[in-house]
Amino acid sequence: MSTESGFVTSATELRAYAPAADLSIASPSSRDSGAQARPRTSPQHLRTEPGPVRFVIIGLAVTFLTVFVVLPLVVVFAQAFSKGVGAYFSALAEPEALSAIWLTLLVAAISVTLNLVFGVMAAWAISKFDFRGKTFLITLIDLPFSVSPVISGLVFVLLFGAQGFLGPWLQAHDIHVLFAVPGIALATIFVTFPFVARALIPLMQEQGTQEEEAAISLGASGLQTFFRVTLPNIKWGLLYGVLLCNARAMGEFGAVSVVSGHIRGETNTMPLLVEILYNEYQFVSSFAIASLLAMLALITLVVKTVLERRLDEGQVPYDH
Amino acid sequence: MTIEVKNIVKKFGTFAALDNVDLKVGNGELLALLGPSGSGKTTLLRIIAGLDWPDSGEVSIDGEDALARGASERQVGFVFQHYALFRHMTVFENVAFGLRVQPRAIRKDEATIRARVKELLDLVQLDWLASRYPSQLSGGQRQRIALARALAIEPRILLLDEPFGALDAKVRKELRQWLRSLHSEIHVTSIFVTHDQEEALEVANRVVVMDKGRIEQIGTPGEVYDSPATAFVHGFIGESIVLPVDVSGGSVRLGGRPLNIAANGAASGASKLFIRRHDMQIGPAGSGALEGAVRHVRSFGPIQRAEVTLSGEGNTVIEIDAPRDRELQAGEIVSLQPRRYRIFAAQD
Repeated sequence: MSTESGFVTSATELRAYAPAADLSIASPSSRDSGAQARPRTSPQHLRTEPGPVRFVIIGLAVTFLTVFVVLPLVVVFAQAFSKGVGAYFSALAEPEALSAIWLTLLVAAISVTLNLVFGVMAAWAISKFDFRGKTFLITLIDLPFSVSPVISGLVFVLLFGAQGFLGPWLQAHDIHVLFAVPGIALATIFVTFPFVARALIPLMQEQGTQEEEAAISLGASGLQTFFRVTLPNIKWGLLYGVLLCNARAMGEFGAVSVVSGHIRGETNTMPLLVEILYNEYQFVSSFAIASLLAMLALITLVVKTVLERRLDEGQVPYDH
Repeated sequence: MTIEVKNIVKKFGTFAALDNVDLKVGNGELLALLGPSGSGKTTLLRIIAGLDWPDSGEVSIDGEDALARGASERQVGFVFQHYALFRHMTVFENVAFGLRVQPRAIRKDEATIRARVKELLDLVQLDWLASRYPSQLSGGQRQRIALARALAIEPRILLLDEPFGALDAKVRKELRQWLRSLHSEIHVTSIFVTHDQEEALEVANRVVVMDKGRIEQIGTPGEVYDSPATAFVHGFIGESIVLPVDVSGGSVRLGGRPLNIAANGAASGASKLFIRRHDMQIGPAGSGALEGAVRHVRSFGPIQRAEVTLSGEGNTVIEIDAPRDRELQAGEIVSLQPRRYRIFAAQD
């Protein structure tokens, strides 16, 4: 959780600093001299620590990463394939597993789509307009990051449960929210809301409103301005937010666990099923599904790296 | 196209950005809004463009109520200080933007759009940059593309917000002349905002001097320079020597001592005497209204700039621009006689 939000800030900081660095490059001539100076400031000359110190620090970092990140990943796949490839695939083909995979994809699709719309709207409002309560809104957007997912789930139980605030009304109208897809989707939306908005707000604030003003003064309507000017300018940031949002939506455990009701073959998402199977000592099935989530993480990581590169390359070279 | 602004008031919180501003701009004029930062000049420009709205007052373009229309319907070309080019579009697409977003009923076909963009890029002499992106252009090139883009919609009026503010001195000078000749070519009614007096005096055919949300003076460059209407204008445009004086019954006193100059009808009371640096005649000691010791002399070009410590005035130091027909020496005692001067009531 904290590492994920850490990713967001670090990437946006990178982008926020880049134009400032460009400002210091005042004229084309000094830009050239900067390029000539580059070989002299090669990494070789930047190394200030003595060799053994470097060796120990790097060694510690690598060991730490191996023990806490690489090893668990390897174990997941080793366990999943411990009874052979056939057992692995038959575990994934179980109706319960298929249902969990389908539910996870469905919930992710719903929550990512809605958060995409909400996130763009929130970021748009915050970065392009001044209004009363703006700071409060920014704080509110971050709320899901600071609340334990279990509490987030409980909030929905209190709202929609049989003894909850809206429970009797829902029962009277035969609408199922809790222990059904709507509840799982709601909890997931709540938990993953900040990703898109957080990725966009600093980007849009940095870009300001001038291009939009220019578009409007050239006769563009609001929609034309959004689709022709604003959206192309934020597309990489938007994809970045969507990617992290999706990863979290598929991997969410706590909030979903509270509202799902664990009905087998119906309301179990992949992370929930992993736990259930593990508790039932079905290690191959459990780790087979876990391996899917691990692969999702790896793919997310690769795409994220590519997107970050695009963000740094694509947005920066517009110095004033 | 004419522009008329009446009784415009605009407040940001308690700060009055514009305080009852009236302005008329004639057809084909090239008008400068000149003032220090915070004087309200950019706010006024943005209100005319429809990017800001006044709290009260009227704006009409060609006799038509402009406030009844949004910015996108006013057909006003706006050039931003930081260009605001669309960074993800080529130069060509930037210029074509205004033509491509037109309502389908009046949108021109692709060939016409291409021809028009080509024509505009020729006009700003940058047709060879059509396929570049804004980040690949220099500041001066970006500003010219921004201008071409604004002209693409055949604007009824052209508004430029500090158009050369972000450029270095040499490019600024070139673009100034270029803008003036462009204006005489296309003759669209234009207003540009600047805080650079030289720019305003050199480019505009009329200058509006603003301070603290009010218009201080409207006039030709010659008028605002030679006959400033207020103390602010005298101090802001050109370089002036300012001395605190007392006017009583037609005589002018500096630090209690009478000065040998006429009050020219200035009202009695605490006042300020404004003299242009080059309007101070230097003569041998004892022959003028003021006297002082030359402290330091720097000579460059056609003038010498002397720092003179006035005698008996609490060591007030003034700077004078004198011709180089007689070289001044540091330590020399000289007399000073203003050739031209203005007296304004002191307002504190």
